[in-house]
Amino acid sequence: MFAHIFIYRLKCLLRDKETIFWTLLFPLLLAVFFNIAFANLNKGEIFKAIDIAIVDDVNYQSNQYFKTALNEASQGDDRLFNLTVASKEKADQLLINNSISGYIVVENPINLVVNRSGLNPNIIKSFIDNYMQTVSSVNSILLADPAKQQELLSSLGNRQQYIKEISGTAAEPNNILNYFYTLIAMACFYGGFLGMREITDIQADISPLAARINVAPVHKLKTIISSMSASLLIHLTEMLLLLIFLRFVLQVDFGSKIGFVILTTVIGSIAGVTFGALISALVKKSEGIKVAILIGVTMFGSFLAGMMYQNMKYIVAQKIPVLSYLNPVNLLTDAFYCLYYYDTFSRYALNMGILSIFIVIFCVGTYSIIRRRKYASL
Amino acid sequence: MQVFRLCLKILKKQIPSMLIYIIIFLAIALIMSSATANEQQQDNSFTRAKSNMALISEENTPLIDGFKQELGKVANFVELPDDHEALQDALYFRSVSYILRVPEGFTESFMQGENVQLEKTIVPNSISNTYIDLCIDQYFNTARLYVQQMENISQESLVQYLKSDLAVGASVELKTVSDQSVNHNYANYYFNYLSYSLLSVLILGMAALMLVFYDSELKRRNACSPLSSKSVNLQFILAILVFTVLSCLIMVTFCILFNFKNSLNLNTVYFIINSFVFAVCGAGISFLIGNLVKSHNAIPAISNVVTLGLCFISGVFVPLELLGNTAIKIASFTPTYWFVKANNQIAELTQFGFADVEPIFSSMLIQIGFALAFFAAALVVNKKRRFD
Repeated sequence: MFAHIFIYRLKCLLRDKETIFWTLLFPLLLAVFFNIAFANLNKGEIFKAIDIAIVDDVNYQSNQYFKTALNEASQGDDRLFNLTVASKEKADQLLINNSISGYIVVENPINLVVNRSGLNPNIIKSFIDNYMQTVSSVNSILLADPAKQQELLSSLGNRQQYIKEISGTAAEPNNILNYFYTLIAMACFYGGFLGMREITDIQADISPLAARINVAPVHKLKTIISSMSASLLIHLTEMLLLLIFLRFVLQVDFGSKIGFVILTTVIGSIAGVTFGALISALVKKSEGIKVAILIGVTMFGSFLAGMMYQNMKYIVAQKIPVLSYLNPVNLLTDAFYCLYYYDTFSRYALNMGILSIFIVIFCVGTYSIIRRRKYASL
Repeated sequence: MQVFRLCLKILKKQIPSMLIYIIIFLAIALIMSSATANEQQQDNSFTRAKSNMALISEENTPLIDGFKQELGKVANFVELPDDHEALQDALYFRSVSYILRVPEGFTESFMQGENVQLEKTIVPNSISNTYIDLCIDQYFNTARLYVQQMENISQESLVQYLKSDLAVGASVELKTVSDQSVNHNYANYYFNYLSYSLLSVLILGMAALMLVFYDSELKRRNACSPLSSKSVNLQFILAILVFTVLSCLIMVTFCILFNFKNSLNLNTVYFIINSFVFAVCGAGISFLIGNLVKSHNAIPAISNVVTLGLCFISGVFVPLELLGNTAIKIASFTPTYWFVKANNQIAELTQFGFADVEPIFSSMLIQIGFALAFFAAALVVNKKRRFD
């Protein structure tokens, strides 16, 4: 009986274009969108030269050193500034129009005029600060030994790097991966479309097909297990396709623990399918509403796990830590990231443990709703 | 007004599924508002956000003490045990974004003029980390000058020199043109996200309408009613307009409610105008989609692909500055891109002269152009369908 139901379910589901779209094509399409959108994110931030102005007055013209320093910073391809030399009124006007991020007035101390706080004004300020601090050091050194001037100027030029970056783990921290991991988690939970169909096709009060199936002298548990297995098989295959697509076409890095990545996907897939089944059993409304709830819950979970805005995941973890454990999409995303990032398994195991509890809740919840139903009329 | 009322009845039936999009959207908007609230407070004065860092020093010397004091100006120190997993956890949960390790023997080698390095482990792409880098760099480069030029300088006097040198800095004058305390970050986010939910709602509603009206049997029945087709079409258009304006109005109202104290200014007016222009464009897109779909089940599929696709490549979810050049080129062929672009420009506005608002109006004009194109395409499809 198991084989019979299993094979016919398989045939049925594979012919359901809509479900296949949601569970396979939609995640693939999103992955392509992600790839277009994030293509630039990992190449490092592209620095654009900052537009600034300097007020052209006697002080500026007489301060040779600052003039040289500023001109040097405004030349070449990797220059820091696009410099405009202007009168005070003109500089004011440029600032009001937002054509420059700020302008500099050479006074004592050097004055920076900006119209907002932010990255660019801070970079300008850092530049001036560095200049003034270096001038101060040079003055105190020359005060102690005036003969050092030549030597000092030459050693000013060769600044040294005093920091080197070392990676904290086996893997490089990577900003984009989390987006793709949430995508896999979302795809797992879109497996809910399959679980949803299983319940629709087995609850006699929802569809005529289900009414026919209920008449058959087969135990409900047996029916649901065989047809759910068919759903799971399809969804797992789809998820593997997605993983292969991500890994080999889009070159997403999953770290070295491939076996665990697949295990996580399998558990995620089970969670997704059973989640859809529970929604379908709980919500006794039209198909449209069920689909809307499934998409809505999954999308909101994905948002909290950082699918649209990566830092959301950390905001949730800091402000409402409970929520990050109650959100199955986040658990799954986190599990993938742990596999990539951590050397140890403690965090991964915690995620998987909680997710397994969710699966048990989904299964028991669904079965207790659908079992032993009797209908006076249909 | 039978047709008009029929339209509203059909739309009413769609309310539950539309409501889900609106509720998700509002929830996201609320979360975003609390997330951006902190940024807003920092933005009112000229400050640098201090980031949290851990300094793990394997030695204790006057030079490092002085360095620590200097570093305290740009970062808050968090005490962490020197344990591999604890450090990994701290970076992972962003409780620190920068871990700096001073290796043993650093000071001794440094004082002898050797080239030595500190080790950092960081959360990538965090802007505030750049300040820490700059600070460290400046401190040791200045110290290097003294070590090279003053022979046998003691660590204590070096620290004293550095302290007085690094205390100088530019004075900053914050010139505010108008009421700068108003911050448009939130409104900017809200209106950008609005394009996602507004489009979803419009497509859902419109597609449901079209499916009913273009069902061939129903259409034949309607064709033999005593209403002129002109009147039918006018009422239909009126219904679409009411639906579009109403959906847009609801979302805009919530923005003003959530963000009341920052809403009473001209920027908000421009945001609202822009979103209504986008709503018209959205109506065009959904009218076209409505003309193309053949089954009820396809509606959510198409609606999601179209809205998510548009939002991802045109800067709603991922800020425009972070998008690749290819993505921006593709995006400039979508109305969402121009909507987002106009929103970002509006958020920056401090002056409202013609020259200042001109780029915004051109973005809006482009959106209207898109709207016309979508309507035209929809009418062509519609005509073809009529002969099927």
